[in-house]
Parts: sequence; structure tokens; C-alpha cells
Amino acid sequence: MRNLTYLFLLCPIYLFSQPNCNAYLYKGDTLEYKACIEAEKTEKLYQFQREFQETLDNAIKICPNFAYAYREKSTAYLKSGDFLTWKKLIDKAVDLDFSLNLGYRAWCRYQFFRDYNGAIKDIEKLDSLANYNIGYSSNGDYHLNITKGMCYSAINQKKKAIKIFNEQLETKDYLPGLYDYYQLGVTYYEVKDYSNALKSFRKQSEINEFADNSYYKCKVYKTLKNQKEYKKYKEIALELYAENKKMFDPYTRHFNSVYYETIKNE
Amino acid sequence: MIKILKFLLFIPLISFGQEKSETKSEYPNYVGDIEFNSEIDNKDFEICNLKHIYQYFNNSGALEYEGEKLAIEKEFAEKYKSEIIKNETGLIRINFVVNCKGKTDRFRLISMGENYEEKVFVKSITEQLMSITKNLKGWKVKKYNQKEIDYYQYLIFKIENGQLKEILP
Repeated sequence: MRNLTYLFLLCPIYLFSQPNCNAYLYKGDTLEYKACIEAEKTEKLYQFQREFQETLDNAIKICPNFAYAYREKSTAYLKSGDFLTWKKLIDKAVDLDFSLNLGYRAWCRYQFFRDYNGAIKDIEKLDSLANYNIGYSSNGDYHLNITKGMCYSAINQKKKAIKIFNEQLETKDYLPGLYDYYQLGVTYYEVKDYSNALKSFRKQSEINEFADNSYYKCKVYKTLKNQKEYKKYKEIALELYAENKKMFDPYTRHFNSVYYETIKNE
Repeated sequence: MIKILKFLLFIPLISFGQEKSETKSEYPNYVGDIEFNSEIDNKDFEICNLKHIYQYFNNSGALEYEGEKLAIEKEFAEKYKSEIIKNETGLIRINFVVNCKGKTDRFRLISMGENYEEKVFVKSITEQLMSITKNLKGWKVKKYNQKEIDYYQYLIFKIENGQLKEILP
């Protein structure tokens, strides 16, 4: 039984987007547990389906403080760009349980609505409330501190962004994400620090090479008037793009991602 | 005879139960569904599969347009006449259907201010955005399980003091 208890404690409440109902039971919250059991019925439903929404409404009727249901309800509105309904639902989830939802709201504000200031505010608030690693974006592409850096870069606070990127990359035991050095490199490029930009793009290549990264190498070499390297990396970028090795997100575009025509016309 | 009477007494209960289950839901069949509106929609616009209209990301292809999203951005950069209009700041979403032939219709608009509150922008902004969106002709035909599908697409416009700053998704 003790082993089983440990297992429940080790599992986060949201395990692969489905809640671990037993965690509520362990907390002693039988209402949330019952709401969670109701919410489990959505497992085989599509997020956009009427029944999906109705089942979660039933869960909320059982336990009006069940944050998970509000967050799950919000997803279809988020993905269809209905910012009005999404925000009402996700705010409710955040109010009820900031620890599991504030970082997620921050990411969504950035990813779907390019609400850079809103995302920064949420991440900084989470950071001030949490004494643990604030974690990653919901798709796992970026640590939330890297997301914060991208947002500062987007609102033209480049030096602050570089500082945030470097601090995260230097954090003990942190493994660089799939695009971290690329975002750092682009920001260095934008402040005309070409040497550090190239260093970052090379580090990026060691972790994960893609067309956008080669394109920026080509841009740096063009600025430095190194024709040979410029042409080489432009060609590599076009090849990688043709092979579909580029930054991709099924919902929106990555920050600083590059179009084929932009590479071609460089 | 008694059995028949008992059966007849049960009928109203059954019928009441059925009525209850048909209570109109506050939700459409799928979140974001756009019903045909004869006052604003083109009656000749063909929906190839009336049973289901997908979302643009269902085929994992993201936004698909001839010349990528860059072509859309260029179209708006050329045609949208930016005027500085103080406090006209927020997001405007135009949602529509792209049918299995790449044609569009059923355009709907929602908008918000800086704090995600409902906001009505001045017509000089919304009418321009709507008109340019309606004239975009490069939407790609999407396939799902090798079959051409109808899908919902949206464009979100980030507006700051009347200026078009970004287009999403």
C-alpha cells in the first residue's frame, strides 16, 4: 500500500493531459475526486465535441473548484482562436490552481495570441510564487524562461532577452531545448554581436540542425562579407527546407522562423 | 389486462424522458461551428462534406497557403491602409470555411481589447481586414485520410493604435 501511495505522489495530477484522480483522493478531496472521475469520460471524446464540453460541465457541477475541467474546456476555444471564451475559462483555472495553470496560460498567450507582455507577466508571477523549476511550454519546445526571453526579444528588449537566455542555459542540470541556442543566436544577430551569434548557431547545429539556423549563419556571413560561407549556408538552408527540416508548429509559427522565399531571396 | 394498463401508465414517463434528453444544448455540435446565415453567406458556397468541417490543424499541416503565410502578410502589407487611431488596440479574429476546392465563405469576426475584453473596433479597420481576407485566393486544399476536406481557418490580426502589427496563426 505504501508503495502504491508513493506511486501516486510521484505521478503529477495531470498525467499526459489526463488527471490522476487518485491524487485528489490522496489529498482527501472526495468532491474533486468524483469530478475527476466524471471528467475521465472525455478521454475518448474530441476536444471540440459538444459532449466533451457537457461532460466537463457535469464535472464542474460536482465540484465547482475543479480547475482541470475549466482548463480542458478552454482548449478548443484556444485552438480555434476564440480569445474571448478561452480567456474566461483559463482565468478560472488559474484562479483555482495557479501552480498547474499559470505557466500554461503564459505559454498560450505567447503562442496563440503573441501577447508578449501578458506572457511575461504570467511567467514572472509564477516565478515569484513557485520555489521549484517553473517548467516547460505545453508542447515541450521551450522552457518557460526561454519563452520569457523570446517575449522580451519581441518587445525589443534584446539585451534583457540575451541575459535571460544565457542564465537559463547556464542553469545547473539544464539541458538545452531544441531551439534555445537558435533564439539566442538570432537575438545576438539583432544587436549586431555577430561573433556570439555564430557561436550560438554552431551550438544549435550540434543539438538540432534546421533550415532557419543555417539561414541565419548565411546572414551573418553575408554581413561579414564572407561570400564562400554565405553561399554555402544559403544552399544548406534551402536543402534543409526542401527536406522539411525547418521549425514547425502545427498551430502557429515559431518565433523567428523563416520562410522559403526569404531564404531564396537572401 | 392489468399488465397492459401498467404498460400504458409507463408510456408518459418514457416519453418525458425522451423530451428531457432532447433539451437544446448551449453548445454547437463542435466548438467554433459556423452555421449558414442566408443574410450574409453565399448560398452557392459548396460544403463538400456536410457531416463534418475540420479545423485547419487536423491534418497536422498548420496554415497552408500558396507562398506560405508570407504571401498573406505581403497582401495585407500592400492593401491595408494603416492609420494611427489612438486606443484602437487589441486582436481581431476573422474565422471562415475553406472548402474542399480551396474556396472560402462564412466569414465571422470577433475582437478584443488589450485585456481580452470584447471590443468593437472602428469600421475603417474591420472592414478593410474583412475585405482583404475575403479576397485571399491562395488557400490550399487540405486532405485527411486521402480525402479532400472542408476546414475552418482563422486569421488573427494584432492591432496597435490602428496599425497592423502581426498576423496569426
